[in-house]
Amino acid sequence: MRPSLVLIVPFLLLTAAGIVMIGGAMSRFTRAKAAAYPIGLAFLGAIGTLILVSSQGPVTVRFYDPASVTSLIIPIGFYVDRLSAVMMTLITGVSTIIYCYSTRYMYQDGHARRYLALICLTDFVLICMVSSGNLMMLFLFWQLLSYLLYLLAHNHAHPATSAGAFKTFTLLRVADTAFLAGIVLAYQLYGTLEYQELFARVAATPMALSILPGLHVSATTAVTFLLFIGAMGKSAQFPLHLWLPGSLFAPTPVHALLHAGIINAGGFLINRLAPLFGLSSTTLHVAFVVGTLTAVFGAAMMLAQNDIKKTLGFSTIGQMGYMIMECGLGAFSLAVFHLIAHGLFKATVFLNCGNVIHKARQEPHFPHGDQADGEAGFSRLTWLTGFVTTLFIPLLILLVTHGVLRIPLLESQGTVIILFFIWITSSQAILTLTRLRAVASWKVSASMLLTLLFIVFVYLFAVESFTAFLYPNPEEVASYFKAADLPDWLFDLIVGMAALMTILGWTYLYMHAHGRTIRMPAWIDGLKIRLYTVFLNRIYADEFYQLVGSTTSKLVHRIDKLERGWSR
Amino acid sequence: MMDVFLPWLFAGTPFAGALVCLALWSDPYRVRMSAIVWSVITLASIVGLANRLPAPPDGLLPLYLLPVAAVVSALGQPVHENHRLSWAMTLVFLGLGMGVLTAGNPFGLLCLISLMLIIMFLLYRHHTTLWPISWWGIGSFGGGVVGTGLSLAAAPPISSVASLAACAVLLPLMPFHHGYLTALTRLPGSLPPFIALLLPVLGLHGLATAMPTIPNEFIAVVSLLALASSLYGAIKALAQSRVRLMLGYGSVSFFSILWWFVAGAHAATPRASVLAGAVGLATGGLLVAWQVIRTRYGDDVDPQAISGLAFPMPSYAVLLSLLGLAAMGIPPFGVFAGFMGLLLTAPPASTIGLFIALTAWLAASWYIMQMVQQLLFGARRPDLRYADLRRPEFTSLLIVVLALLALGLAPISWYASDQVPNKTDAMERSLAWNG
Repeated sequence: MRPSLVLIVPFLLLTAAGIVMIGGAMSRFTRAKAAAYPIGLAFLGAIGTLILVSSQGPVTVRFYDPASVTSLIIPIGFYVDRLSAVMMTLITGVSTIIYCYSTRYMYQDGHARRYLALICLTDFVLICMVSSGNLMMLFLFWQLLSYLLYLLAHNHAHPATSAGAFKTFTLLRVADTAFLAGIVLAYQLYGTLEYQELFARVAATPMALSILPGLHVSATTAVTFLLFIGAMGKSAQFPLHLWLPGSLFAPTPVHALLHAGIINAGGFLINRLAPLFGLSSTTLHVAFVVGTLTAVFGAAMMLAQNDIKKTLGFSTIGQMGYMIMECGLGAFSLAVFHLIAHGLFKATVFLNCGNVIHKARQEPHFPHGDQADGEAGFSRLTWLTGFVTTLFIPLLILLVTHGVLRIPLLESQGTVIILFFIWITSSQAILTLTRLRAVASWKVSASMLLTLLFIVFVYLFAVESFTAFLYPNPEEVASYFKAADLPDWLFDLIVGMAALMTILGWTYLYMHAHGRTIRMPAWIDGLKIRLYTVFLNRIYADEFYQLVGSTTSKLVHRIDKLERGWSR
Repeated sequence: MMDVFLPWLFAGTPFAGALVCLALWSDPYRVRMSAIVWSVITLASIVGLANRLPAPPDGLLPLYLLPVAAVVSALGQPVHENHRLSWAMTLVFLGLGMGVLTAGNPFGLLCLISLMLIIMFLLYRHHTTLWPISWWGIGSFGGGVVGTGLSLAAAPPISSVASLAACAVLLPLMPFHHGYLTALTRLPGSLPPFIALLLPVLGLHGLATAMPTIPNEFIAVVSLLALASSLYGAIKALAQSRVRLMLGYGSVSFFSILWWFVAGAHAATPRASVLAGAVGLATGGLLVAWQVIRTRYGDDVDPQAISGLAFPMPSYAVLLSLLGLAAMGIPPFGVFAGFMGLLLTAPPASTIGLFIALTAWLAASWYIMQMVQQLLFGARRPDLRYADLRRPEFTSLLIVVLALLALGLAPISWYASDQVPNKTDAMERSLAWNG
């Protein structure tokens, strides 16, 4: 019963693809609608699997002999634990909605059949990937996903799309190659690609590798670093993020699936291999730096875009950076929670963005311009509310969670840094949402405060419960945080900078709202304009890659010319 | 007693087919059918009787693949009287190939010498203004003939080194790769797709025999040469605008990676056969796919001038995409299985070597994907007449895709023993990964 329930989920998705693909043109609409049922059933199956593994432990199904090296090339096997079951539920749930949406969205499109079949196949590949029984199978489906992404984000006749698809495939292949090198290294050093056995051997036999004469690194760091580059590719981390904006010509539901499912692969990989990553502080620190850079660049580029899809695309890059940063801080379960929340949110936004674009084209005054009127005034009540929510409430949360709920937020550097990031981002969110308009109403202020408090406490409680669900052993969670600890001076610097930025931001805005002149050196004003231009042009990364591509091409042709002679 | 005659049977069946082709010479359609039927008969005899042969170090896989490649190449060529010679020669080459793989020395080596001499003759006779005569290519095969002759006549270590040089001509390795490239670009009709598999598997077979006797000093040189050659092949493939040259250089790059693995392991295992067979089949399949374009739009048409085939030619688009994926080394096809099999089972090699091998593997994604994308996607051109695959072309490409899929998915224990690595050894291996 248990193995069949696990196997039935991918099987149903494959069946859905078959229903869409096989049959005549007359029945294609009926078949397209009928295929929604197996996908819905797969969602129910995933829920069943989640309940099953939550109560009875992980399920393992193997169609190969793990002791035989000859069967390791295509080792089809499934390992479903709580992490896999959660991901399966998320993917099938979102896929059901996206598929139903797509059947109407693509109704009149000549390529609807191919598109719907590809959606089903992508779901199948995603499910197989998250439930893979070993590292090799994970890699197999990881690569297939790269190719499916190339096909899904592709419109036959549109040159810009073709170029974007090629860029997507090339960048993902670069990351996949590093992933492959990590797998080969892991196998050659530890002799296995089975998860549990690999974790046990890595923990039991610390090794050092001599990369270059005199340069030694820990074997775990070498393996995890290469695997992390693989994760960077799929999760659009800087500097491998370029494929995501390049694929924005694809149909809108593809984005919903991409931003809710596919792009989470990096976070999933790190969580799946958490015991391995937890043994390498260096890789976790690299992940922290890469994630932070991606979060900052992604958010900054998002603010400078003037296209709704690009804005959402860069928002996703920023969020993925945030997620990888959480992994880098050792908060693995928080990253999974984040990717679920972000996935659901972004899928909703993408599925709805077409309406907004359509409405904006139909109504010249949309979005409505009446917001500008309220910004002229100044209200002490609004400012007080803003001050309390962003400067006072975080302290209250810390005290309550630590003292009353007994959530150990202050016991590791990781949680403290995350809290400070939450503080900055929530301040920024409040400033963006309310814009501190002069709406002097106690009702508005009180409801804002209460809602915020409610959301924050529910969120913290949910995160804590989710962590306990995903990683039942608290010592394991603590060990990941410990491994991710930064040097004290860096930790102090980050916390100090975060606090300073938030307080300075508020002071600046407050003075600005009072109409006071803030003296700024001329170079800061100049820098602001220059930074805006840089982020508007997406930090010229496209141009840089183009330069690298054309330089490589010139070099290749020069070498070819030097050698040429006999064959022409 | 019967086992003694098996090599004669395997080599003789295609030759009998070639004689039948001569008898049917006036009817090109029947010549092609004869080539296909006799290739199938050869395959059937191998399936039935190959288990009676002593298993060579590189396994029996090449024996099965060669008739399949012969069928594929014959089917992929449209019926025309100009192609009769290539169909008959496909059978002759198949017979000689079977002789090399199944008969021991000296008969096997004599078959190999005959094969190379015939290729040299064909290369001398068949050249066009687009593909002028290549003395480098003919000379390479001449070197191969001399090397094979020396390996037959001289004593070790001269014979071993001579044998190695002959193998480098067949399983292309820079600077001996010109022969393979010339054969792929200049041989007439259906021969290039067949040659793309035949020469490498024969080279690997020779390498499997010669490798244990090669002095260690040469092994180090071969390793370095293989890495340089894999990069060279990838760079040259990236620079090509002519499809046949691009495919030729691309396969040189992959075969050089194979050389690196074989030199590192000091042996050519059945896993090496999987990679050689899969790369050869994928290259042959892509050559057949390119032949489809040449049949419709003229010989040596510029690929930049063709676009938008995906919608009007769906069967071609699907099969070409799958072949492209296989040739790039994406699962679940044979190239990936062979490459991964060697990567996982090879002894720990240098970091730089691994990096170069992976770079060459990555480069294939660039040049093959670029070609596939150029042909299939982009705007449809109103001046082009689009016609999807005819049945023989479809069958030919489908066979290649299925064969590559089978190579990727079939357990290697079907044609090799299950070698379980000692896990303790894995822990105790040298950890010096510096180059």
